[in-house]
Amino acid sequence: MRKHTVSEVTTPRRSLGGIVILFSLVLAGCASDAELDTLKPQSDVARSIDNLMDPVLAVAGVVMVLIGGGILYMAKRDHVDGYEELDFPEQIHGNNTLEVAWTIIPAVIMALIAVATVVTHLAVNDTEANAYSVEVAGETESWEPVVVVVGQQWWWEYRYYFDQDIDAEALGDPRLLPEADIVTAGQMAIPVGQEIELVISSRDVIHSHWIPALNGKRDARPGFWAPWKLEADDPGVYFGQCTEFCGLSHSRMRMQVTAMTDDDFQAWVDQQMTPAAVPVGAEDYVAELRAGNNASLGESDSAAARGLEAFVSNCSSCHLIDGVNDLTYTGATTESGSAPDLTHFASRTTFAGGILNTYNRDGSLNRDDLSAWIRDPQAMKGNAANDLGDGVAPRGMPTLGLGERTISDLVDYLETLGPKPSDELIAQTEVD
Amino acid sequence: MAIIEEPLALESGQADIAERPLGVMTRPQGGNGWRDWLSSVDHKKIGIMYGVAAMFFFVVGGIEALLLRTQLAFPEQGFLSPQLYNELFTMHGVTMVFLFIMPLAAAFANYLIPLQIGARDVAFPRLNALSFWIWISGAIFLNSSWLVGGGGADCGWFCYSPNSGITFSPTHGVDFYAIGLLIAGIASLISAINLIVTVLNMRAPGMTLFRMPVLTWMLLVTQFLLAFALPVITVALFLLIFDRVFDSQFFDPEAGADPLLWQHLFWIFGHPEVYIIILPSFGMISEIIPTFSRKPLFGYSFMVFSGIAIGFMGWGVWAHHMFVSGIGPISVLAFSLSTMFIAVPTGVKILNWLATMWGGKLWFTTPMLFAVGSVAMFTIGGLSGVTHAIAPADTQQTDTYYIVAHFHYVIFGGGVLGMMGGAYFWWPKIFGYMLNETRGKIHFWMMLIGFNLTFGPMHVLGLQGMSRRIDTYSEGFGFEFWNLISTIGSYIIALSVAYFIYNTLRSRKEARDLPPPGPDPWDARSLEWMLPSPTPEHNFDEVPIIESQDEWWHRKYGYDEDHNVIRIATIEEAAQKGDAVGVHLPSPSFWPLVLALGLPLIGYGIIFNLWLCVLGGLLSGGAIYAWALEPVDDPDADHGPHDDHGHDADHSDDDDDGDAVAVGADDSAGDA
Amino acid sequence: MSTATASADTHTEHDPHATNTGISNTKLAMWLFLGTECLLFGGLISTYLLYKTRGNGKTLPTDIFDIPFTSVSSFVLLMSSLTMVLALSAINRGDIERTRGWLLTTAMLGGVFIGGQVYEFTSFVREGVGFTTNPASSAFFTLTGFHGVHVSLGILMLMSLVVASVQGRLKPQNAETVEIVGLYWHFVDIVWIFIFTVIYLIPAE
Repeated sequence: MRKHTVSEVTTPRRSLGGIVILFSLVLAGCASDAELDTLKPQSDVARSIDNLMDPVLAVAGVVMVLIGGGILYMAKRDHVDGYEELDFPEQIHGNNTLEVAWTIIPAVIMALIAVATVVTHLAVNDTEANAYSVEVAGETESWEPVVVVVGQQWWWEYRYYFDQDIDAEALGDPRLLPEADIVTAGQMAIPVGQEIELVISSRDVIHSHWIPALNGKRDARPGFWAPWKLEADDPGVYFGQCTEFCGLSHSRMRMQVTAMTDDDFQAWVDQQMTPAAVPVGAEDYVAELRAGNNASLGESDSAAARGLEAFVSNCSSCHLIDGVNDLTYTGATTESGSAPDLTHFASRTTFAGGILNTYNRDGSLNRDDLSAWIRDPQAMKGNAANDLGDGVAPRGMPTLGLGERTISDLVDYLETLGPKPSDELIAQTEVD
Repeated sequence: MAIIEEPLALESGQADIAERPLGVMTRPQGGNGWRDWLSSVDHKKIGIMYGVAAMFFFVVGGIEALLLRTQLAFPEQGFLSPQLYNELFTMHGVTMVFLFIMPLAAAFANYLIPLQIGARDVAFPRLNALSFWIWISGAIFLNSSWLVGGGGADCGWFCYSPNSGITFSPTHGVDFYAIGLLIAGIASLISAINLIVTVLNMRAPGMTLFRMPVLTWMLLVTQFLLAFALPVITVALFLLIFDRVFDSQFFDPEAGADPLLWQHLFWIFGHPEVYIIILPSFGMISEIIPTFSRKPLFGYSFMVFSGIAIGFMGWGVWAHHMFVSGIGPISVLAFSLSTMFIAVPTGVKILNWLATMWGGKLWFTTPMLFAVGSVAMFTIGGLSGVTHAIAPADTQQTDTYYIVAHFHYVIFGGGVLGMMGGAYFWWPKIFGYMLNETRGKIHFWMMLIGFNLTFGPMHVLGLQGMSRRIDTYSEGFGFEFWNLISTIGSYIIALSVAYFIYNTLRSRKEARDLPPPGPDPWDARSLEWMLPSPTPEHNFDEVPIIESQDEWWHRKYGYDEDHNVIRIATIEEAAQKGDAVGVHLPSPSFWPLVLALGLPLIGYGIIFNLWLCVLGGLLSGGAIYAWALEPVDDPDADHGPHDDHGHDADHSDDDDDGDAVAVGADDSAGDA
Repeated sequence: MSTATASADTHTEHDPHATNTGISNTKLAMWLFLGTECLLFGGLISTYLLYKTRGNGKTLPTDIFDIPFTSVSSFVLLMSSLTMVLALSAINRGDIERTRGWLLTTAMLGGVFIGGQVYEFTSFVREGVGFTTNPASSAFFTLTGFHGVHVSLGILMLMSLVVASVQGRLKPQNAETVEIVGLYWHFVDIVWIFIFTVIYLIPAE
């Protein structure tokens, strides 16, 4: 047979080397300030996952090097530039012993991995029966530490019930949950070193709750309460991101877990259970409102007081502030039937689904973003609120067309809904 | 069908008197030009049309990918709006899976299966044409949502409910997704049945199942997977359409529906789909590596059985896509373990390829480079697959870029690279000229490097916690560098694809000054290489009698008493001449095309105005009856005793099948 | 008509119908098609089973089933399988007249079944269980509706054969065509037996 003429023979050496380098980078865990890094576990659960995964990654790396190396070795040793007549190597059709061997050996490796997987999987899905003492209204409650987590487009709500055992079966429709002791949005506080159970659901589409440093993710599925758990070794802030595609602003649905010492957590609970502070000069107005009367603030020099009135007339049909409209509040007019609870808005360091900072780096209120958000939320986070047809509920905060003075008053009022967190926490929770 | 052992002496399609079923259309008579392509029932022409259309949609899906990567090159960019980003990543996935890889595999399956088993065509040539036309009408329908549907679907290719419901996706994009995939699914279903029957029934004498080339085997397994996976997604898509258009309650959680229903139905289809994508490439690699190692495939029967095992096990792993959906820890564990063990037959395949190369004479032609590159890249994808078969680890990895990296290594690395090798390998057989080797190698290295630059960094990004399907990301999570690298890589892939297209055109031009490649330019092993290049319309002058695996190789070479390879015959001596005259071939028909045109009309009707459904139904229904009344072969063409399609005894045989299956197909769309 | 599988050694005579499996292409294709249909109905039946008690506070289909009525129409459909067999045996004997008669009977029995289904659907809607009432009703109408469409298409095929026989196009050598339509018809029947048992006879818990 004729000899084929082929220019030059290249071997797949270069790129495979590149891949090896890439993989070693993966194994090394790379970047330094990656807050969502899955290879930097900060809890027993996350560590057990990592401990399972690291050796598997290592074995996978070895197998990859063996196979890639084998190909390179053969390419170097056995390559030819075309075929001479009858230029044949030994014609081998197979070898049953080898076939059996390389069926059994991978099967054994997989079986070993399977055993480790079963052990870890059962541990990760096991919840300890435990109790945590919290002081509520002067009395010590034994809290079975459960946080009810509800996702909706595009933010997370965390609800704390200290005086009752949460039965996931009995929770029912996440739109009709019983009144909670504490309701927050975007930031969940937990005591450190304590296994916290989560029950997760959704008020609209499927979301997924994920704090990589503390545990894997779990879907928030409407009509179902998914059990999950978290635990943090050390005080600090742990970042998360919704990981099930949930529509337009999926990328802008983030959250944080703040792990605190027992004392700090108790202090946090005390703060959060206090009704919102009423701005000076608006006490009578609020009292009238709560009595169910048509009230008006009248002329006021206090921007915060004017902001409160603006809240009542523009925001209170969706947002709740304990101590202002909690007696009349019946739920939001959004598709999910909910909007973030603003009672202690300024005690949280992020807003708008965890994408904007409430405070600047120097500790001052982030008036720019707050004003911009109230002015035109659509511009900062698409939420399909305004361009829907008749009878379709908005799926996020609509653009209300408020005047600049009203916006400024509202920002002033929101600032009073503290207490303001520590500068340290502000720095730790900063988002870009 | 008849098994023919002597040259045939029939005139085909040369009748003077045209038949007019229903008095509407003249029976096409074959010949040249576009009309010939529109009415062709030749499996080779249909294969080529599948291939060209698939490459077109590869470019479409690739442009969508480039837009996505451009948006993600830097943090917090506004190059694409979130809505457009969501539509683009949805359509990228749908296009690449349903409109590129599947039809590209269908192109090879159509072209090569009859040649590799020694048949003159597929079992039902007109149904084959129907499959292609239905598929392409579904593909155009699906993409027409950009123009008339208010944008593409924005629910992801997996389209989880309730996000795919009318409340959360109020534009028509999801309607186009559901109906478009239904139409394309009908095409794949018909094609799968057709090809299974072809392989089971139409093999040349002596071509026992275990003498078939591994490519034919893998394509057969693929067709079985298609045949049984598609009905499941059909159910899911119907339920979705009913919910969106007719207000049924399948996916409304407020009415007590369970969003997991969609997930189960989708992934019962969706996981076999992965093997539908990868197995054809495995088959091609199994043809290419032995040819360029000059050794027979190592462990043929193990390769076949591992392929079948993958096909079976592929049905028992679907819920590994749902580890975090809350299906219960025991279910998770069961699916975790079954997923791990599907790695075993896959590993057997990789090791057998390596053993085939071991001690061989490795000639790194372009097809060989692609095949070996594909093995290496697929190995990486397979290994990362093992890491998320581990359910606890998957809770960290799922829905991150680590998964994106994994399945691109499997689908692009394992699937596309392998099929690219197949394209270079069979190009001379299909088009009669060789692709330039130097340019082919440049194409390979560009594609391999671009591919690794694009998808390698996604492993890192995923482990660093970058979620999938996010239209932008913030600074400070360590995502910036690798995203930029990935975007650069994606442009290199785009360049390599452009260079491939350039290579095909340039090589075609240069081929005029080069000697023709002859029947067997690679000194290959399977039956198609005994035919002239390009394959003559009638395939085999006479159907060969098969005596062994690698029949063609054994017609060229034998062994002496010391088991050394000796030459028995030169290629020129052993090959067929392609000069048989008057071989009777199935007559062309326009009705498959007409029938297919009705389906998108029905689709538009469901979305916009039910009267269009009536129009589409009439068109398709009329075409079915015209088809049924039109004999398989032109009755005016002279029939002799050597009819290849065995209809002379009962004319309506094939006709009624066409009727039955096509009516069923019409029903699936017409009833929505 | 089907000879042994072709093999290199034995195949010397020239049989235009020989296939490797001995089953004609058309019949094999129909078997495969029916195999895929199993998955289709499997999906629909699973959907119904998942949803049959999800009433969203409204009436469930199971609450208003008229079992005696449906039993009668099921029996009618079952009988049509018998007449289909008779049609096939008639054409195998070469008796086109009787074939036509039995095909027509089969189609009419199928028509009676469809009529019964139409009656059942309308009475359900009258009793407040429509397609959009609750997940259970959506699943019920979809499953039984898909089956009804399959029966209707079967009737269409049977009538096509009847018309062909009137035109003299149905000849004894077309027995396989009748057999293949019969395969489809029996399949649709069997699916109904399954649906009837699973949906109507097994009570909702």
